[in-house]
Amino acid sequence: MKDLKHLIYFEKLLEDSNNELIAQAKEDGRICVAYTCENIPEPLVNLDGTFSVRLRAPRTGSMEMATYYLTSFLCEYSRALLERAIEGGFSYADCVITPDGCTMMNRCVENMELLNTTGKDNDRFFYEYMEIPMKADDNGLNLYVLQCRNHILKPLSENYGIDVSDAAIRRAVEKHNRLCELIRAIGEFRKEERPRITGYEFAVLTLATYAAPKELLIEKLEETLEELRTREPDENAYRIRTVVVGSEMDDVDFIKLVEDCGAYVCADRFCGGSLPGRDPIVLTEDEDALTQLCRQYMYRGQCPRYMDTAKMVGRREYAKSLADEYGADGIIYEQIKFCDPWAYERMMGAHILGNEFGYPVLSVDRPYSIGSSFGQLRTRVQAFIESVEIKKIQRGDK
Amino acid sequence: MSDKRIGAKNFGNIYVEGKRYRSRREWRGVVDTLYDYSRWLYNWVNMFRIVLCKPRNVKAMFRYRWMANYLAVPMMVDRHTQGLRGEHLRICHAEQDIIIEDVAKLLDKLFRGDKRIGNDKAFSDKVVLIDENEMQSIMMGFPTVVPLSREIASTYIPVLLNQRAALHYIDVAQEFGLAGDVCPMPEAEAGVSIDDDAPILGCCAVQCNTTCDGSLLSNGVISKRMEFEDGIPVFQLATPLRHTNEDVQEYAAQEIRNAIAFVEEHTGEKWDWDYYFECAKRVNFATKCRLEWLEMSKTPYPQVFGSNLALYTETNYMAISGRLAVFEETDKKIMKLARKAYQKKKMAANEYRHRAIIWGVQSHYYMDFLVWLLNCWGIVPLIDMLSMDNTKMIAEEDTPENREQAIYDIAMLTEQMIMRNRTHGGYKVLLDDLWKFVNEFNADMVILWEHMSCKALDGMHGLFEQRARELGVKLVWVSHDLFDPRVVSRQGVRDQINSYMRTVLGEEPVDPTLEFLPDEESW
Repeated sequence: MKDLKHLIYFEKLLEDSNNELIAQAKEDGRICVAYTCENIPEPLVNLDGTFSVRLRAPRTGSMEMATYYLTSFLCEYSRALLERAIEGGFSYADCVITPDGCTMMNRCVENMELLNTTGKDNDRFFYEYMEIPMKADDNGLNLYVLQCRNHILKPLSENYGIDVSDAAIRRAVEKHNRLCELIRAIGEFRKEERPRITGYEFAVLTLATYAAPKELLIEKLEETLEELRTREPDENAYRIRTVVVGSEMDDVDFIKLVEDCGAYVCADRFCGGSLPGRDPIVLTEDEDALTQLCRQYMYRGQCPRYMDTAKMVGRREYAKSLADEYGADGIIYEQIKFCDPWAYERMMGAHILGNEFGYPVLSVDRPYSIGSSFGQLRTRVQAFIESVEIKKIQRGDK
Repeated sequence: MSDKRIGAKNFGNIYVEGKRYRSRREWRGVVDTLYDYSRWLYNWVNMFRIVLCKPRNVKAMFRYRWMANYLAVPMMVDRHTQGLRGEHLRICHAEQDIIIEDVAKLLDKLFRGDKRIGNDKAFSDKVVLIDENEMQSIMMGFPTVVPLSREIASTYIPVLLNQRAALHYIDVAQEFGLAGDVCPMPEAEAGVSIDDDAPILGCCAVQCNTTCDGSLLSNGVISKRMEFEDGIPVFQLATPLRHTNEDVQEYAAQEIRNAIAFVEEHTGEKWDWDYYFECAKRVNFATKCRLEWLEMSKTPYPQVFGSNLALYTETNYMAISGRLAVFEETDKKIMKLARKAYQKKKMAANEYRHRAIIWGVQSHYYMDFLVWLLNCWGIVPLIDMLSMDNTKMIAEEDTPENREQAIYDIAMLTEQMIMRNRTHGGYKVLLDDLWKFVNEFNADMVILWEHMSCKALDGMHGLFEQRARELGVKLVWVSHDLFDPRVVSRQGVRDQINSYMRTVLGEEPVDPTLEFLPDEESW
């Protein structure tokens, strides 16, 4: 296929945590809210005068300092973030907000705070730790709303004078939805039998929306959408179609590796992906925006820390529904190494999707930076593709 | 009662290379040896009376792989009584023997209701399954309901008895696809469930997000089998992680209300306030006792400390939660013995050289390591993290206000469950509190268990070291893998202390025969 006009631009944005759009937004006097987890409702950290950046540590190499503080048993995402923070790589942040979602992420940010890694010259800088619900129900919703008020809205208002009113939240949701609609519209092309966008390209676009101020991306995303409408897809570009499901992933090279082996990534169900991360938020006038926002985040959340049966069952059914909807031949269930929640979820998900729902599943753990384990993963993916192809032949599929 | 420390030397000589047993029982002088032997017999009689005399329980011995470990109960007690004389020996037996009796009753009840063994349906209908690391305070208002933990019987206790007890289940979980770096405790529990090796009984179950992410997630593996295969409805009690924050307490309280309503719905029983406040009084009494023991540990003559206190606290504080009067009697008995020993300035070993705070998550397959520390190197384990739990009194008078307060008290106890009160709640309760205790207890050393796959502890590794350096406190890391001695053996655990004591402090052991022990094959 012909290259996308803005692909290199988006790729460059992902090369460094502190990209040019962050610098531009900071020059405009906006407050940068750094966060670490999909359980932070994004519109609340993108109110007027603020913009959010989901912390990443691209091109991570050595993590020796972070490994000293966190040991080699903590997940590489948390170690990579701490290493980058110690190196001063998040100096652009005006605050860091993290949910006490998983222990490792919590400890990572606590170390950032205790080691005084960020906000040294900013007396308004703050760290906030949120309790977030572990079950999707009314009690959980009350907690979520209260925590967002106390640990996002209140400190933003008190420290930086940000307007946190209901109207401000509604404006933020509106802007957020525009971005989500664009990403989802682009993502729809992945359902085509001959898709006109690769999974890698889509991952680049999606990840950029977490890593840079959102409204500064709108124009180029609109152009990309228009470009895609007339883009001519390749013939027989892939051997199988697959959904990638699993834990936090902000390394698009993983998707590239999978596709280079011949498996088209038609859907992305992982933290940092578009499903459900880029689902638009529907607000009505009969209830305050914060409550509605939290409710939608809570019920759509696919985080394995949600421990009630309905959510556990729902996670596996959601992955299956995506595989059905996007016409996948198989599912790649990935987990970042040393992640406890996803270790269990991957084990259960892989068995249920495979044995109960009948999808071929490749269950893998992976490093934060895929480059350090490239050969091993490629072998696993290649073997998976062959096994799916053999199954298709045995079934008499074309 | 003997006042002399007869025979308290060369403990290492009774270990036998390549054997599970030791060459002989410890000689403690006529009075203490006879006393100890009588308790050994008492425990056997209790186990026979409660468990082994019933055919259904013998059948369970052949059905459940983990049951055979219970034959090593007397050996576990012997390990924990090493070197103890007089009041300390009696305190230890008071703690251990009541735990053994309680666990024996747990086994008997599990098999009575188990569909595969006793299949007593009427009894099973009164059983509520409770998570292993879960405070049973939510059962303080249900006098006729029987709360039972299958995980305590199948994984938690067996590893205390036999260091290899959980290996099979760890392997089962990993063969099923679980990553090998998760905590082996919930991993083994998941393995039991995958292996279908847990008794099936109960009208419902209450799970809780207890100590860690692994524990929370392994519940999902267990509940899948319970709900979808065994037909046992499950309530997941979500307890806040940042338990020191005011703005989570209402959520915590509502979860308790919901859990109580769930139990009422499935058992048909109503919450009994009279019984609750009766239990609350006993909880407060246990807290008062523990506080007094901790006060003693601040002096040069600690009396109730070490792994025995940790085990007793886990049972009394967490699993009993004031529901059984017999534990109050035991508290009184221990208190009487402790006061007597304190007045006499009794010591539990030949020599006290260092006063240590034991922090972190202890090695489960080597729980008696603290006994070894004391006897081999004269390091007094003043307090351990597992015993530093709630110190607040809860409402114990039945008034309308206190009925509301009681819900918050139960929530607070659940939030501050053993281990989770330190592994959750932010760095203040794990990192900052440690140095506070070092000062309070006049300790010169910190023994920091590094349970390798405990992410909450690992995540503070560097800062523990940094603070220790700043404060000039001797800090010794002791790595282990909780349930899996294949990763770090018992001697591997001891070697870390031996190296530190010899190379950093330049000391010689109090009892050199204990420095290297041939206990790889031991229970």
